[in-house]
Amino acid sequence: MALTITCPICGKRNGYEFRYGGEEKGPRPDQKDLTPESWCDYVHMNRCVAGIQQEWWFHRDGCGSWFTIFRDTTTNLEKETPEAKE
Amino acid sequence: MMTRFNHLPTLKINTGDKIPFTYKGKTFYGVKGDTIATALYANGVRIYARSLKYHRPRGLYSMNGECSNTMMEVNGIPNVRTETTYLKPGMVIKEQNVKGSAENDLLGFIDKMDWAMPAGFYYDTMHKPAKIWPVAMKQIRKAAGIGKLSPDHHMPGKYDEIFPTCDVCVIGGGHAGMKAALAAAQKGLRVILMEARPWLGGDFEYRTSEYLDSQTHHERAVQLAKEVEKTENIRVFTHTANVGTYNNNLVTGFQIGKESDSFTERYIELRANSVVVATGCIERPLLFENNERPGVMQAGCALRLANTYGMLPGKTAVFSIGHDLGLETAATLHDLGLSIPVIADIREDGQDPKLLKAVLDRKITILKGWVATEAHGSKQVKKVTIKSVDATVSKTFDCDVLVASAGFTPLTGPLVINQAKLTYDNHTNFFLPTDLPKKMYAAGRLLGFENAESIEASGHLAGLKAAYDCENCSIAELGDAKKAMETLPGPARGTKLITAPVKGRKTFICFDEDVSIKNIKQSINKGFDVPELIKRFSGAGLGPGQGGIPGHNLPLFTAKYQALPDIRIKPTTVRPPLVPTLIATYAGTNHTMFKRTPMDEMQRKDGGIFRNIGVWQRARYFSKDFTCKKEIENVRNNVGMLDGSTLGKFRIHGPDALNALQRVYVSDLSKIKEGRVKYTAMCNDDGCVIDDGVVVKLGENDYYFSTSTGRAGQTIEWIRYHTRYENWDFALVNLTDAMGVINLSGPNARKVLEKVVDIDVSNEGFGFSEYKEFTIADTIPVKAMRLGFVGELSYELHVPASYMKSLWLMLNEAGKEFNIQNFGVEAQNVLRMEKCHVILGQESEQRTNLLDIGMGFLWSRKKTGYKTVGVAALIQAEKDNNRLKLVGFKMENNGRAPKDGALIVDDRVLGHVCTARNSFSLNEAVGMALVQGDMSKIGTRLAFYEDECNGELIYGTVVETPFYDPEGKRMKM
Repeated sequence: MALTITCPICGKRNGYEFRYGGEEKGPRPDQKDLTPESWCDYVHMNRCVAGIQQEWWFHRDGCGSWFTIFRDTTTNLEKETPEAKE
Repeated sequence: MMTRFNHLPTLKINTGDKIPFTYKGKTFYGVKGDTIATALYANGVRIYARSLKYHRPRGLYSMNGECSNTMMEVNGIPNVRTETTYLKPGMVIKEQNVKGSAENDLLGFIDKMDWAMPAGFYYDTMHKPAKIWPVAMKQIRKAAGIGKLSPDHHMPGKYDEIFPTCDVCVIGGGHAGMKAALAAAQKGLRVILMEARPWLGGDFEYRTSEYLDSQTHHERAVQLAKEVEKTENIRVFTHTANVGTYNNNLVTGFQIGKESDSFTERYIELRANSVVVATGCIERPLLFENNERPGVMQAGCALRLANTYGMLPGKTAVFSIGHDLGLETAATLHDLGLSIPVIADIREDGQDPKLLKAVLDRKITILKGWVATEAHGSKQVKKVTIKSVDATVSKTFDCDVLVASAGFTPLTGPLVINQAKLTYDNHTNFFLPTDLPKKMYAAGRLLGFENAESIEASGHLAGLKAAYDCENCSIAELGDAKKAMETLPGPARGTKLITAPVKGRKTFICFDEDVSIKNIKQSINKGFDVPELIKRFSGAGLGPGQGGIPGHNLPLFTAKYQALPDIRIKPTTVRPPLVPTLIATYAGTNHTMFKRTPMDEMQRKDGGIFRNIGVWQRARYFSKDFTCKKEIENVRNNVGMLDGSTLGKFRIHGPDALNALQRVYVSDLSKIKEGRVKYTAMCNDDGCVIDDGVVVKLGENDYYFSTSTGRAGQTIEWIRYHTRYENWDFALVNLTDAMGVINLSGPNARKVLEKVVDIDVSNEGFGFSEYKEFTIADTIPVKAMRLGFVGELSYELHVPASYMKSLWLMLNEAGKEFNIQNFGVEAQNVLRMEKCHVILGQESEQRTNLLDIGMGFLWSRKKTGYKTVGVAALIQAEKDNNRLKLVGFKMENNGRAPKDGALIVDDRVLGHVCTARNSFSLNEAVGMALVQGDMSKIGTRLAFYEDECNGELIYGTVVETPFYDPEGKRMKM
């Protein structure tokens, strides 16, 4: 509720306007050489860091774009870079 | 009813305006401006309620509503804080937690049984043998507890919510808060000021002592309030309690409406750039024997009873206080006629000399270094014993009121729930906020200031700091404000005394849960040595007031009892809501929001019975016969019209449009030909089918596609999500609301359509699965498809929403000679079920994949290189035989259809019914079910278990699908 997210197009907005899209895990792996295990890991396994993570958000009630932000999962505050420290 | 003062400048009542209310079944009168508690007090009520555990009598104590003492049932709503709830005409007020009355409670004897109920007694006793616990629990629950809410209670009133924004939000409308608001506003910022009481002024508002230059505190409060109210960029919310503060300065509160307001209460959620917290202090309760006996009250309570509500708390009052407000109260109330035999001041020295002189001038005895140790009187205070703090000398005085207060305690809630830390401060004896969150500042009395000028200056400084965050204030100005503060008196020294010298069997640290200091000692002796543990074990602070009464006494006492060298112990965690809030207020107004299709009005006129389906309202039936027999037979034998406008409709175009479609759809769409309709489906990454629809190629790199009604809202998000790494060039447009859809179905559909259009609609000219674009009457652009969802000859006409009504009327006119009829969503449901055409979400659930429902034929295995969503999982799922399969079944012996959702069982659950109906077209009951793979063989007997069937199963058999027109001749005719 208290979360704010900075959309690259619309700027800093209320978290209500966005939908979460999961951790940043890189592009979809190629179908070749894909084992069921590696596919399942890509889709379902998360690192769940306590700290700063890069993650996807969708501006549902706004411009309709997908983008990533860095968020400190322990404070629920946005960070500018992955290394940002208080 | 006692006579009320009517000459004081501070009064908030109008003694001429009487307000009737009912208490214990009789009519009483309060006056305009009364709270419920003060109206009762004026009518002689002293015992408001009985306590939770011991059923001790409880009375007016703080006037701030921190504890359960004065909670009552008002108009059927239990646990209303009568100290802070204002009287309205006709209120019906009842006592709670009493057997008999609060005055004569039949359970009052429990107070003498306290020896049998040490801290945590319910953990220690009554569980051996185990079977006594349910019996004991029943009895305890009967005796303990507070209000009861009737299950039939309907909450009256109108509840609202607003979401304002501002640059600076100030919480607390006392002097510090008002100065902070003014400072920020003068810098050109938009300010919101929240004040819990119905008026501005805070703790100075009701005080008539001197502020500066013969101006009283009250006059100063009025002056500042006027200044605030005339400042245009300050929006003042009075009678608005702050209930939460969160990250990024999100502040929530709830406001109680005035008579002239459009709401009873409303929830306020605002986002500020920076926040100033100036919530002030409450008094720290003094701990002595029977410290909550009716007649014992805090200084501010006694003073406000007189100055705000126009009545003296009693005839004779003993004071046992630890701060200058106590001296001020004594002097003020003495002048109003209260007899004060003695003031026991905990402090040996350090009193404000002016106030000391005022007390002595009035010939009031003051004993420094003395404290009350016991209040006597079984239901109300009759006598008080005071002792020197070292307990060597003792005196007893007759009185009917004991004004008792150990000192102050800051209201740090809004800061700590936003992650500020609390650190013990030896000078003020406060737990002061440190490590404040970014852009959040504290000001005023909560920092320990008592001097009015210091309080105002700290508010001014905090307001400028907030303005600095908004880049509207210079460093130099901040420096000046800081310097100005340094010339003023700093925080006042706070009293350290925690308990009077008593053993503490009836010395209550928490009123709500009847926790005495003896219970705290018992908890610590059992090893629960920090407040968080003591709270859970003894119950202190768990009651309705949360930390209100025990808040800071608990950690202070815990440290003292364990003789800790320094106080590192912290108060228990505070959580929102800071003030109890009605769930009705959080819920706000019940908006029934839904979308209407362009055909809404016409279908209602035609007798459509509407239901909420997803975000839409749709016509489900066109008669009271919910089996829809007439509608179904009309489509099978004649021609009907369905409003399909809720269907998701999209256009995708651009060089990478095909790539995007290939990514999300399982079919190979590169083979799609212009003028043809391609039915296909989308899966998620687990291969579970989420959507189906048709794709049409409009031109080069230009496609039009439909989705199911429920998926329309998420489709753009879905496609963009699964292409987010690709940097593909395509544009996606949601046309769902811009386009309407009419489904013209039945053997006579062609005869109707050919009267309206100019193109050749013969089976040769416009065949099954073909797509055509044309205009009707040279005006209405139509995208037409020949589909067969209901299993008959049918045309799906997509037209701009604005032309829907015209086309509908034209088709109606043309169909008149065939007696064309509407059909609704339920009729369509039965028609398509007879054809075994699935509706996703009905024939599938979250775990159902494309193969399970027999739609594997849509999946193009040859299509590679597109990383199609779901394909990796489908390849895996193909080898899995342990999955549910969709089958068709018919009932044995002409039996009725099972209910949708009925279970398929042997001694286990083997599947469930998706849709089943008594089919008029087939003259038997048929349906579709998801069953375990090995049961999908034709001829397998299925046993259905329905809700409330009392074990009486009904039976059916798996049969070939589809049930109706297996060759599909009718939709292709």
